[in-house]
Amino acid sequence: MAKFNFTLNGAATEVDVDPSTPLLWVLRDHLGLTGTKFGCGAALCGACTVHVNGSSVRSCAYNMDSVAGASVTTIEGLGNNRVQRAWIEHQVPQCGYCQPGMIMAATALLKDKPKPSAADIEAAITNICRCGTYARIKQAILAAAG
Amino acid sequence: MMEAVLSRPSRRHMLKGLGATVLVAGRWGTRAALAQDAASAAAINAYVAIAPDGHVTLQCAQSEMGQGIATTFTAILADEMEADWSKCATVFSPAAFSPGGEPYRNPRINWQFTGNSESISSFHPFLRKMGAAAREMLIAAAADRLGVPASDLVARAGMVRHNKSDRAVGFGEIAAAAAAQPVPSEPQVKPESEWRLVGHGRSLPRNDIAAKVEGRAVFGIDVKVPGMVHAAVMSAPTIGGQPAAIEDAAVAGMAGVLKVVRLDGAVAVVAEHYWQARLALAKLKVEWQVGPAGAFDDATIEAMYAKAMTGDTGWAEAESKGNAPGVLAASKRVVTADYQSPWTSHAPLEPMNATVEVSADGATVWAPVQGPQMVQIVLSQVLKVPPGKVAVNRTYLGGGFGRRLIADFVAQAAICAQTAGRPVKLIWSREEDIRQDWYRPAFVQHMRAALGPDGQPVALHTKLVAPTILSPVSPVPIKPGTVDDLSVEGLVKHSYAVPNLRTDYNMLQVPVPTMVLRTTGHGPNNFALESFIDELAHAAGRDPYQYRRQLLRDDPETLAVLDRAAALARWGKAPSGHFQGIAVVNGFGSCLCQVVELSLVGGAIKLHQITSVADPGRVLDRTNAVSMIEGGVVWGLSVALYSAITFDQGRPRETNFDRYRVATLPDAPALVTDFLENRKTIGGLGEIGPVCVPAALCNALFAATGKRNRRLPLAREGVFTVYGKLYG
Repeated sequence: MAKFNFTLNGAATEVDVDPSTPLLWVLRDHLGLTGTKFGCGAALCGACTVHVNGSSVRSCAYNMDSVAGASVTTIEGLGNNRVQRAWIEHQVPQCGYCQPGMIMAATALLKDKPKPSAADIEAAITNICRCGTYARIKQAILAAAG
Repeated sequence: MMEAVLSRPSRRHMLKGLGATVLVAGRWGTRAALAQDAASAAAINAYVAIAPDGHVTLQCAQSEMGQGIATTFTAILADEMEADWSKCATVFSPAAFSPGGEPYRNPRINWQFTGNSESISSFHPFLRKMGAAAREMLIAAAADRLGVPASDLVARAGMVRHNKSDRAVGFGEIAAAAAAQPVPSEPQVKPESEWRLVGHGRSLPRNDIAAKVEGRAVFGIDVKVPGMVHAAVMSAPTIGGQPAAIEDAAVAGMAGVLKVVRLDGAVAVVAEHYWQARLALAKLKVEWQVGPAGAFDDATIEAMYAKAMTGDTGWAEAESKGNAPGVLAASKRVVTADYQSPWTSHAPLEPMNATVEVSADGATVWAPVQGPQMVQIVLSQVLKVPPGKVAVNRTYLGGGFGRRLIADFVAQAAICAQTAGRPVKLIWSREEDIRQDWYRPAFVQHMRAALGPDGQPVALHTKLVAPTILSPVSPVPIKPGTVDDLSVEGLVKHSYAVPNLRTDYNMLQVPVPTMVLRTTGHGPNNFALESFIDELAHAAGRDPYQYRRQLLRDDPETLAVLDRAAALARWGKAPSGHFQGIAVVNGFGSCLCQVVELSLVGGAIKLHQITSVADPGRVLDRTNAVSMIEGGVVWGLSVALYSAITFDQGRPRETNFDRYRVATLPDAPALVTDFLENRKTIGGLGEIGPVCVPAALCNALFAATGKRNRRLPLAREGVFTVYGKLYG
């Protein structure tokens, strides 16, 4: 077991976990924040996407050593941002399981590129949606960009 | 889909169910299922409860796996009873064997499941009557309250109004009195012209979307119950293998580890936290007994298909009209082709998981399941308790696609919970989710057609080899040598006017578990039939759209979607360098035509537009209907382009999304979707959306290259998209 201190959705947080525990399971299982999803465990699908110091990371394959001292934002910490509002406006989710990860990835994209092109979106959003909501995801990102 | 194996409820049973048994039983039976804040609500019937403050709680018998059923079921009921939509809440009903659970079975086959695209088609008339019965009981109670004839009252927006005296009472004020009214034997549903929430091009914001966007929605994997611990599972390295010896000394002292549990074909570790269970599982030494089929591989399986196809045994006649073999034998103009769809995995993004608490005389389950009644049957066998003592709390499902119809993962959780003496949440890794899947098997079709003088087919004979897909989800097994009705879907009862038809089916026995997957038999069979019709059109020197028009002369509804899709896609008028392919299907009580338009960039496919026109009879919610079709298109692209399970050493090679490839965002081209409402009865939209995509895509590819692709996925045939390399 090892202690890690970091900022989670703006609040100072300390956990005492096996140091090999990926950030995803620290969030879900130790801290009770289940909005971040487990999809593949190998950084392939993006369902577990969170922000570490403002950048998208795939938390299922993200080591706690890299979290120590950092600022982590999860879907619970977005505070109904413009991406989430666009997602509701465009009725994007179907099963909804991938959508927290999609929204985190889209939010990070808009921070880097406030007016993304279609090609920017295609390059940045590599998350998997098995329900196939991609067309509405593109529309919602463009709408959120304004 | 199960009429072959389950007796249809008799008409008498239906009437009895609607009139008395269901409504009365529901009054008492549903109380336990209502949300806490609706505890004081009056249960008007099995589906409707109204609180004194006017809030209405409506039961959803079906599972919400992304298809929007929790919204549309609620809207059908609320519309018929004239409830105030802003005061309606949805709860997931008890399972069928639970006290009061009887009314939540699919009324068509008396079995509770969410699948086969039939939630709306099977429940719509029944739900309308349940809503209408509630409205009539509310009006009767209001008539008593106001001292006026019921015929002078109208219900609207959660109130019953007496226009002559300008008086009104809210549903909440009369809910208890309404619940005490006699149950109408024949509730009168509203005419469609008075629908206010569904139909007529309307869309409602879905009731689950805000929670899903904010990360609040509770999927099975998110369930928390007091005292809960976690289980991780490792299955045998070969399919059908068993743990022979488990050496658990290495994990005994590990932090959090509680139990090592032997399962059928697998081993589980139960620990306080999930990652502790995973760490221990990795340290566990297990000696595995090899499965009965040993180290089979693709060649083994393909040889089994080939032997069945060319052999004389195992065949059953699925459909016969006229004399197709005779006409083919006499014809001088015969076209022959063989098609193959691959093994595929469901791989919903939420891996299989279940939380189970076992008590002295029963169990409580919290899980994302499509088959709650199946869960009760399976756990009653595993735990030796009556099925009615297994309570099933359905969560949201992170995709289903058929996989969650069976209860193997719930059984594993139950055994772990029983062994540990604690509530256990069991979660499969992605690798286990794919390795322990019951796959959609490869379908192999051998097709022959005889063309008449005008180039139209006069005989069509199809031979299909495929393992059963229906048997594992059916309460009664489907016997080898007989016809699996779902496996032959799309090859039989299609809309084409061919005078001589024959379809033969051979239910192959394979050492791999198989079951239904989104599109059931229609997906692989439409790829074969609609590719073949395209080949016949080209053999006859005819335009594939016009060729189909002539063949659809006996099915005006399917002809209408074909015409509308061709018009929307500007068939035959594609820009220079763009090529189009078309395909059509009649299935799931609906019909659909899709047109794929693509170009080739450096030999790779660039998709430009996919046009879909569907006719489900009635579109109850347009935005959600578009979601079903357009999401389905992407599913169809995964199937056509990328996804395949292959075997080596007695196990699947693909165990995660690196090798089990699925469509990603850049794969989705412009999507154009429209609906017609010509069909007389209401049909499904959840499964049909992907069906025509593979054939339409391959037909467009043929138009572009002159080369016919008869095996999927295209990525395994050396055909790539412009994104295929980037995202491979």
